[in-house]
Amino acid sequence: MKKFSKPILAVLCVLAVLAIAYFAGGGSSDKVPAPAPDAFAAETSIGVPPPMDAEDAVISDVEHTCTLSVRCDTLLDRLDTLAPEKAALVPVDGALYAEQEVTFYEGESVFNLLAREMKQNGIHLEFVNTPLYGSAYIEGIGNLYEFDCGELSGWMYKVNDRFPNYGCSRYRLKEGDRVEWVYTCDLGRDVGGGTVTERQNDE
Amino acid sequence: MNEFKTYHPIVSFAYFGFVIAFSMVFMHPFCLAVSLVCAFVFSVMLKGRKAVKTNLLYMLPVMLLTALANPLFSHAGTTVLCYLPSGNPLTLESVEYGLAAAAMLVGVLCWFSCFNAVMTSDKLVCLFGRAIPSLSLILSMTLRFVPHYAAQLKTVVRAQKCLGRDMSSGSLVERAKHGLSILSVLTTWALENAVDTADSMKSRGYGLPGRTAFSIFTFDRRDKAALACIFVLGAYVCVGGLCGALDFHYFPAVGGAEYSFFGASVFAAYLALCALPIVIELWEVRRWKAIESNT
Repeated sequence: MKKFSKPILAVLCVLAVLAIAYFAGGGSSDKVPAPAPDAFAAETSIGVPPPMDAEDAVISDVEHTCTLSVRCDTLLDRLDTLAPEKAALVPVDGALYAEQEVTFYEGESVFNLLAREMKQNGIHLEFVNTPLYGSAYIEGIGNLYEFDCGELSGWMYKVNDRFPNYGCSRYRLKEGDRVEWVYTCDLGRDVGGGTVTERQNDE
Repeated sequence: MNEFKTYHPIVSFAYFGFVIAFSMVFMHPFCLAVSLVCAFVFSVMLKGRKAVKTNLLYMLPVMLLTALANPLFSHAGTTVLCYLPSGNPLTLESVEYGLAAAAMLVGVLCWFSCFNAVMTSDKLVCLFGRAIPSLSLILSMTLRFVPHYAAQLKTVVRAQKCLGRDMSSGSLVERAKHGLSILSVLTTWALENAVDTADSMKSRGYGLPGRTAFSIFTFDRRDKAALACIFVLGAYVCVGGLCGALDFHYFPAVGGAEYSFFGASVFAAYLALCALPIVIELWEVRRWKAIESNT
């Protein structure tokens, strides 16, 4: 009896860990979580197209161009509040990815574009798929993570100078869009996106 | 073969207190390596050569699993190795952190196995018998529980074997049947034993005021020296840790405190603290040989 209990335990442990790894890693891989019910859909900003369902997106091979930039200017004058090893990662001019024209394919979302461009340029990107909002959430770009500069900090995106106020997987790109990812230290107020979060807080 | 066991319980307890706490706090690769190696050597010294195999048997799978599981959940780090199917990056730093966490986990487990071998129940009762009598009693009884049952299980299996009803022969169903009957015997014995223990304790006046705790340990000069050593080294490592000499970070890129004389001395103190029982053992062996060759 004693002889067999150890291998059995070991096998059980291995199975448990594999199961966890499968559900955590595999679950998010190919299928984007179910789209959010409308009750959870946030009110969108004025002049912003309504969010699409990322799951239903059909990506064709028709090429279009738009511009993309990833900046963390807000961190430049707050370098002393960052951990020293994080401060070393902030570029001198604040641009992790300077604005440039990029190609995207018909039907792609802002998230598809960002993920591809970051991968191609060797810039680190971590995201998590949030089933509730039916979208990916960007946790960190270039190892600059949410909450690195206080509890109100993180990454936000704007298209044509407006903050869409919904997940980046749900914004369908259009020809000529100007996509900007900016790092905020104050829930969007320091990058001009305060109205988005404030309106929600007021409700 | 294990000199450290013969020291006063307070010495062993202080030693394990420091070493286990430090192993859990300091993530510096040097500290982890020192702690893991010392724990491994100490456990082999305590339990003989067969401990090498049992240690490796649980250490390697745990280390491997932790090291592999971490990169699945953590994607921070500047060195991107490749991309996972989910689209998140696999980074060198998360692998390294996984290895470090695994070393810490296994090291602490190994220290606890040494703790169990050194801190027998009489030592625990000696230490805490006065201060927290019921807790130390429960502690010593529960710690005794598993080896006690394992010993009884062996006895039952041997007796059943004489009747030809053990698990080494017969079909699978028969073996399972025999196993269950052994389990049933053990359970019956356990229940009876519990009642006996309770009766025995009651008849000896358990719970009456004014009782004393049994102790055969004396605190002599040797213990004083060892305890002083442990506290000086422990305090020095504490100060070093608070000053940041043992700082190390894995994200976004691995790096630690820069080399300094003070830092090196803290590392030396850490090594000396962890290796103390091994040093004591070697010292004792040398002395024994010296006395032997004199006569």
